[in-house]
Amino acid sequence: MDIKPFTDTPIKFLEYDGKPAGDIGSLGLTNEQLLVMYRWMVFVRAVDDRGYILVRQGRAGFYAQVAGQEASQVGSALVLTKNDWIYGDHRSQGSQLVKGLKAAQWFAHVLGRTLDPTQGRMMPHGSGSADLHIVPPSSTVGNKITEAVGTAMAQRYRKTKDLTITYFGDGATSEGDFHVGLNFAAVYGSPVIFFCQNNQYAISVKLEEQTHTKTIAEKARAYGMDGYFVDGNDILAVYAVSKLAADKARAGNGPTLIEAYTYRYGPHSSADDDTRYRPKGELEMWRTQRDPVTRFRAFLVGKKLWDDAKEQKLLEEVKAEVADEFAKAEVSTPPEPLTVLDHVYAKRTPHLDAERAELAAELGVS
Amino acid sequence: MATKTVLEGVRDALYNEMSRDERVFIMGEDVGARGNVFLITQGFMDKFGRQRVIDTPLAEASIVGVAVGAAMAGMRPVAEIQFADFIYPAYNQIVGEAAKIRYRSAGGNTCPMVIRTPYGGGVRGALSHSVSVEALFYHVPGLKIVVPSTPADAQGLLTSAIRDDDPVMCLEHKRTYRLIKGEVPEGDFTVPIGKAAIAREGKDLSVITYGLMRHTATEAAEKLAAEGIEAEIVDLRSIRPMDRETILGSVTKTRRALIVHEDNKFGGVGAEVAAIIAEEALFELDAPIRRVCGPDVPAMGYAKEYEEAFMPSVERIATAMRELAAY
Repeated sequence: MDIKPFTDTPIKFLEYDGKPAGDIGSLGLTNEQLLVMYRWMVFVRAVDDRGYILVRQGRAGFYAQVAGQEASQVGSALVLTKNDWIYGDHRSQGSQLVKGLKAAQWFAHVLGRTLDPTQGRMMPHGSGSADLHIVPPSSTVGNKITEAVGTAMAQRYRKTKDLTITYFGDGATSEGDFHVGLNFAAVYGSPVIFFCQNNQYAISVKLEEQTHTKTIAEKARAYGMDGYFVDGNDILAVYAVSKLAADKARAGNGPTLIEAYTYRYGPHSSADDDTRYRPKGELEMWRTQRDPVTRFRAFLVGKKLWDDAKEQKLLEEVKAEVADEFAKAEVSTPPEPLTVLDHVYAKRTPHLDAERAELAAELGVS
Repeated sequence: MATKTVLEGVRDALYNEMSRDERVFIMGEDVGARGNVFLITQGFMDKFGRQRVIDTPLAEASIVGVAVGAAMAGMRPVAEIQFADFIYPAYNQIVGEAAKIRYRSAGGNTCPMVIRTPYGGGVRGALSHSVSVEALFYHVPGLKIVVPSTPADAQGLLTSAIRDDDPVMCLEHKRTYRLIKGEVPEGDFTVPIGKAAIAREGKDLSVITYGLMRHTATEAAEKLAAEGIEAEIVDLRSIRPMDRETILGSVTKTRRALIVHEDNKFGGVGAEVAAIIAEEALFELDAPIRRVCGPDVPAMGYAKEYEEAFMPSVERIATAMRELAAY
């Protein structure tokens, strides 16, 4: 299927009821791959449900659910390979799990334990892992966009076929970093995918108060770059467009902007009250009529690849796996207080050594 | 030993490190075809190619942001901000990202990069080509800041900065670029980050300073020597980490401390130096700590009179020295 940039309506491969809307055969996905996609979405949702409970239990200070955006995250991350880099954002745990972050590491991150690669330094959701080339993001929106360009330039300088993907929300497109980052990448043809999860709200501010363009994708035009407007709740469409952008980057043909049009079910975070700004009925409409998991399941059922028995089995499997992973996070130790002085520099300065000695004396430890 | 200007010291450090290590590259406004506005990188683009001498779009946020991302991916970028006055759009990237990424990732990600920028007055640069920005950054853990004042230090500190595994800001006083000449060792050498230098030995008072003011203060000290007052000049060279040992060693010896910098006094680097001395050596002193700094105004004006009124002069420093020695 010929996928075109700058469409007025989102690119779709599936109707909302799961019936094919495009040439799915052109994607070259095996039945096994389709089932992997589905399993990932179910798994991501299960991890998220478990994570959010921690806030209610008073065991975590903060949580931002990914629910509703699973197709955007799983579909885009499935095109990545081991040496590709991810710059995540406030809501990209789905992509990070697909890239290889263990659910146990994710739960440890939410609990502030040392199994978290940031070892309790970053609040949810600042997870990351240097081993997996996932950079833990700062909460300052948009910073990562220019950094992703730099990483991509380094990949290109080394003549690799690797790429960098950076995730950000619709609000981030108002930041200066979005503009300067896309401009720089386009001028230097850097292998980057700018992946905007447009869930239509930056906390409470609606898209039409964020930007005066009809789509975010069309902003790419101004940089001489292709922009794709894709249905972010259709995993096949997200995968197709991400694959196209990835192939282009790997072939040395530069960056792409992708706008995945989607919706979050939860509030911005556990500290937010979304009833103050969402119109009545909107959430229910998305949840009942546009859900990415239900939609893809209907597609699989239609293809005779899925049924109730398989669903039941998968849910049980996933439940057990999540429980296992959570148990590993629970036994992970909290950080030692003295490590607060580590990793400021490659080597502690004399000043930091002195502060460490002071703290050790104060705590009565060594 | 070869005689060079500060500018040549900077150039040679860049040239040598780019020749030595393929991970090192330069990016900034007008660094390529133009060879930088001070002609520091003249000829570099022909020698090292466009991939390593990158003329960037005019956006400081992306110059630093892109450099941060490249550094995390294992490169050794040297990002140039054309004038320190233009660094503010990149503040977010420097303070929020470069300085914090190692800590944020518990050592997983690192940011071995250099941010070079000319700063300071004395060239009729007025409000937006004369500022001193060190105080805006030296508060930030995770950053290192060097402020060379001689050709040897410019070359040696910049070489260290490029080889360092952490982000280093190299603040070069633009008035020193062509004004200050000096001997520079031949071959490969470095000047360690975090070590001050005794620029002039003396027994009667210590002057703790850096940048162009090292030279202004030395001139004042030579004047006073004729009057029988021997001032010791301590050139900090590194502002973060700061060499407490050398500061304290000098003031313990001379028992009098004068701090001189061009940046305005309130909340400046001198405040930290004074605090270190007060915390560690108050009872070694025979006189109150004194500071001679730029006035507490937003910046120096264009008119010659404004610039002269702003920059601490040999006379102002000499007067303060005299008074402190007599206290």
